[in-house]
Amino acid sequence: MRFACDTGGTFTDLVVEDADGTWQLFKAATTADDPVRGVLDALRLAADAYGLSLAALLARGDVFVHATTHAINAVITARTARTALLTTQGHPDILLLREGGRPDPFDFRIAYPPPYIPRSLTFEIDERIDADGSVYRALDEASVIATCRELAAVKIEAVAVCLLWSVLNPVHELRVGELLARHLPGVPVTLSHLLSPTPREFRRASATAIDASLKPLMGAYLGSLTERLGQAGFAGRVLVVTSQGGVMDAAEVAAAPIHVVNSGPSMAPVAGRAYVELEGGGDVVVADTGGTTFDVSVVRDGRIPLARELWIGAPIIGHLTGFPSVDVRSVGAGGGSLARVDDGGVLHVGPDSAGAKPGPACYGRGGTVATLTDAALLLGYLDPAFFLGGTMKLDVEAAQRAMHAIAAPLGVTSDEAAAAIVELATETMTQAIVDITVKQGIDPADAILIGGGGAAGLNIVFIARRLGCKRLIIPGTGATLSAAGALISDLSADRRATRHMSTSHFDRDGANAVLERLEDECRVFAEGPGQGAIATTYSYSVEARYADQAWEIEVTLPGARFTADGDVAAFRRAFDAEHERLYAFADPASAIEIVGWRVGVACRLREPKPGTLRERVRGGAPRDRTIRLPDNRVVMAKVCAFESLPVGVLQNGPAVVESAFTSVAIDEARFRRSEAGSLVIEL
Amino acid sequence: MSAPETPQLSGARLGVLRSRMDGIARKMSNALLRAGRSGVLNRAKDLSCCIVTADCRLLTAADSLPIHVLSGPDLMARAMHEFHPVLAAGDAFLHNSPYHGCSHAADHTILVPVIDAAGTHHFTVLVKAHQADIGNSIPTTYMAQARDVYEEGALIFPAVRVQQDYRTNEDFVRMCRSRIRVPDQWHGDFLAMIGAARTGERELLALGGELGWSTLHVFAEQWFDYGERRMRAAVARLPAGSAQGSSTHDPMPGTPPEGVMVRAAVHVRPGEGVIEVDLTGNVDALPCGLNVSESCARTAALIGIFNTLDPDVPKNAGSFRCIDVKLRDGSAIGGARHPVSFSVSTTNLADRVVASVQLAMATLAPDSAVAEVGAVNPPHKGVVSGRDPRDGRRFVNQLFLGSTGGPGSAVSDGWLTYSHAGNGGVCFVDSIEMVELHHPLRVHRRALVADSEGAGLHCGAPSLEVELGPTQGTLNIAYVSDGIVHAAQGVCGGGEGGRAAGARRDADGVLRNLASMGQIELAPGDRVLSTGTGGGGYGDPRRRDPQAVLHDVLDRRITRERAETVYGVRILADGTLDAAATARLRE
Repeated sequence: MRFACDTGGTFTDLVVEDADGTWQLFKAATTADDPVRGVLDALRLAADAYGLSLAALLARGDVFVHATTHAINAVITARTARTALLTTQGHPDILLLREGGRPDPFDFRIAYPPPYIPRSLTFEIDERIDADGSVYRALDEASVIATCRELAAVKIEAVAVCLLWSVLNPVHELRVGELLARHLPGVPVTLSHLLSPTPREFRRASATAIDASLKPLMGAYLGSLTERLGQAGFAGRVLVVTSQGGVMDAAEVAAAPIHVVNSGPSMAPVAGRAYVELEGGGDVVVADTGGTTFDVSVVRDGRIPLARELWIGAPIIGHLTGFPSVDVRSVGAGGGSLARVDDGGVLHVGPDSAGAKPGPACYGRGGTVATLTDAALLLGYLDPAFFLGGTMKLDVEAAQRAMHAIAAPLGVTSDEAAAAIVELATETMTQAIVDITVKQGIDPADAILIGGGGAAGLNIVFIARRLGCKRLIIPGTGATLSAAGALISDLSADRRATRHMSTSHFDRDGANAVLERLEDECRVFAEGPGQGAIATTYSYSVEARYADQAWEIEVTLPGARFTADGDVAAFRRAFDAEHERLYAFADPASAIEIVGWRVGVACRLREPKPGTLRERVRGGAPRDRTIRLPDNRVVMAKVCAFESLPVGVLQNGPAVVESAFTSVAIDEARFRRSEAGSLVIEL
Repeated sequence: MSAPETPQLSGARLGVLRSRMDGIARKMSNALLRAGRSGVLNRAKDLSCCIVTADCRLLTAADSLPIHVLSGPDLMARAMHEFHPVLAAGDAFLHNSPYHGCSHAADHTILVPVIDAAGTHHFTVLVKAHQADIGNSIPTTYMAQARDVYEEGALIFPAVRVQQDYRTNEDFVRMCRSRIRVPDQWHGDFLAMIGAARTGERELLALGGELGWSTLHVFAEQWFDYGERRMRAAVARLPAGSAQGSSTHDPMPGTPPEGVMVRAAVHVRPGEGVIEVDLTGNVDALPCGLNVSESCARTAALIGIFNTLDPDVPKNAGSFRCIDVKLRDGSAIGGARHPVSFSVSTTNLADRVVASVQLAMATLAPDSAVAEVGAVNPPHKGVVSGRDPRDGRRFVNQLFLGSTGGPGSAVSDGWLTYSHAGNGGVCFVDSIEMVELHHPLRVHRRALVADSEGAGLHCGAPSLEVELGPTQGTLNIAYVSDGIVHAAQGVCGGGEGGRAAGARRDADGVLRNLASMGQIELAPGDRVLSTGTGGGGYGDPRRRDPQAVLHDVLDRRITRERAETVYGVRILADGTLDAAATARLRE
């Protein structure tokens, strides 16, 4: 048996795969004070469903894959270790100055963000490496030792070391690491060039600082998880989902916890890719709608693109992880997004959210402001008696009261206001998809849209219409998309190096030496943690740009090495094509500069094919009802139970398809259940 | 333009369409940022993208630099119409003429009229980007010493058609390649700008096709009305009255010996929902490059007003209706004519205009006041040029190693990386490693200067000090550093920000002060020591939260002495607050 468990802000999702490959979904409440308890609660639900004791269930398990928000929550709530930053003399303000930018040039209410590590815990080291990797000023070891004493005196719990140009010549950083180990034993240290060997000191320093600050906490958390699973009877392997869409052994994560900072959302595209493969493949846009945020990721040519700009918190004023992560665009829009009308009479929806408490007005927990969920309820997209499979009754009158406060200043009826809220939320979500697809060079009209998350069904069909998508898929596991992805993801590692090289003076031997070294490092991984994989694949890419551009794009190399002159020409063509796709022009006359090199290895632990879902069938057939579409047409909708839809039979909307986990509002689009069990909507 | 048959749009539809229009502007600027070649464009993001109506009113400028766009796109679009009465799909125009509505010659702007299949012109998209070089007589895009446009030497393009039928006029390209330094860099930026403008055109055409043009025109009118309504509501909350503000630019060649005092008189008339900004009391045009173009003068006045209002008021032609900016013909502030030089129009004197307006507003409405922003451009924000010994190639580029200068305000401490008043903190700050990778120079030091903040209840940002020099070969730096004499002023009892300073330490070890502006040449072993300005403070420093003062001391931003004498906060040697002594000091 295999288990995948995604601890989110509100729910802990569990997907269990039994020996015959069948899947079952479970949801338990997340227990923020002790998240492992929520994990064990979800496992107990599963044990009950299988008619086993917890120990007997766990004894059958060989792999437990975990996605967790523990790291990111610690950063957001500033509960990380007391961490010092060691940096090159003369540059104490790398984390403070950041990279500039301001969210709104006229808004003085937004305060300048404090640095991740304060100046009072920043220490300058007397040394300097130059931009060509040579030593400009030798390391003053005595000053490092003196700094170690100061660090001990101020009770530092972790140390981040980020020296200028360590990525080209790590000699000083390595020596500082040795001195820290000797003079400050037992305190975890992160060296920037080992963690993220890429230029741009702010991003690297930020990554290093976040990583070091998470080490004590994540070491303890993952230790506790492994130990308590073991005590409960689990003897298999514990893997943790990384921000890069792979999994790593828990012990390895504890040594570099920044890898799991975006642990949950990175799995949505892994699942999305697998579900689209079952339906014939293509580029994929994965939209995951939660209560507060709307997360979008993409799959292009079968690959999940990474971004360097993952912010914890809002862009510019949050913390930049400075580390490659699955490119996920998040906007503050979801089922709990609050509606308001400003003093100029214009409607806004989000980014503020009612959250889990008090939640939407219709939850009856004290919320009085209308949310997207309230709007969906009034429009007929949700059945007040069958929310979460009927486990929670929705209060229609509370939703109406809240909506009246929106409708009155707009001068429209409550139903019209509800339709407008859905339309506006749809627009915000659409913009998020447009943003990321533009950046990744995908035309959403040609891509397949995947709807995940409990609130996806409220408006995913309307989003698909806005984008011009022709096909929309809502997997049976849609409400637990990340956990589903975690179950089928590969064990993976990524090795990177910085070496500047231009196509105008291309050094084939130098390039091949870098690639060979990185490949060797990946092979060590494949033969260690990756042992026993059913398939192992290596991938080779570079970060490159036209001469004088500042921002690189990632381009897959045509081969593993540059063996003939033609290989450089082939790379040049690949780069030009990629640039054209992203920015609408290529400049074949310009030299191309390679800045970063990457070799990745993926060790396939099982076939990346989702299992067949075992569903609980709803008692009694649901009744048809009228719904109001965002364009204010009121239509009669057929109401169908997700699990009872006949496979392969194309039906016409309007309809609402309901399961215990989600409810999908469909306009005149046609829909069917696929062989693989997904709801496929054709527009 | 509005078609009478199209019904009025609901507040909900307005929100949707606003989001789509802003999305188009953002998409353009993202494309330009990522694909541009020069550091000023792609590292610093000194660029703006916006949409104006067919009759040249600013609809949206999401994600833009304020000084680039509040006024200017309107004037430039008008020049395009005047010079080219017949517009066709496939046209693109290059405009950088400050005599015809551009901010200054360095801001190359591509205008593309958005024309549907029936030949009707609906909107115009603009892409503006500060260039690394524009063919000036010396390698800088800020030539304060230029006595006129001839000495400045910039190539001037008053809405010149550079594309027809979507094809570039290669004659024009050859002209630019012959006169602009590092021509490949310029050409790369040009391609990226055209690409971004065409992206905007495509998106708007698709939107018009999807929703119908009349809907978009109705939206535009309602959006302007909405802007005006929001603005009137904001003005109505202000007290009625008039006030003056002034701010003095340091003396430089071409200015009076005491410098240039910029004055603004602001009249707030809440009953009419109007604010008048009178800039007519300023000096005549100057025989140097500091003159402020019409677009920058109007924009600077608007920035000073918007900074002190509810930030949610839209910045569009509708809200602008409520601000009446008065300029005087022949004045250095928005009234000078060809052939005077506007080379440095976007920063130095324009920033002093913003300050004058903010100071006047601070008198009228202290509850929403904003202090003066620090002045620019010290050598570490200058234009560097030379030949890179590593590959023999020439380079020219503006450095953005960071200017602080953010003003304290009624609601917060100064934004640390504010850059300058016309910028509002939008630009990026250079990474040391990226600067060293692209240029043969080494940044030895970049750090805040202790005790240089504008003290206050809310502090202005402290100064930043940068020390740099060439690694090999000679390095030229051109700069125009205001704020050495006249610091950024505080408001409502706040103190002034730190002053700028510049010096060079040559290989002989001798430290020599630099003039406030100029072009210097550094050889290996020489270094320039460049200090930027701090921002002014807001409110009495003795009302600042003692815990905030304690943090400033622990973070070495201010000394314990300053905490005591300026803030009335005593910090003990062990780094804790002496609450009793603090209370006594603050009595």
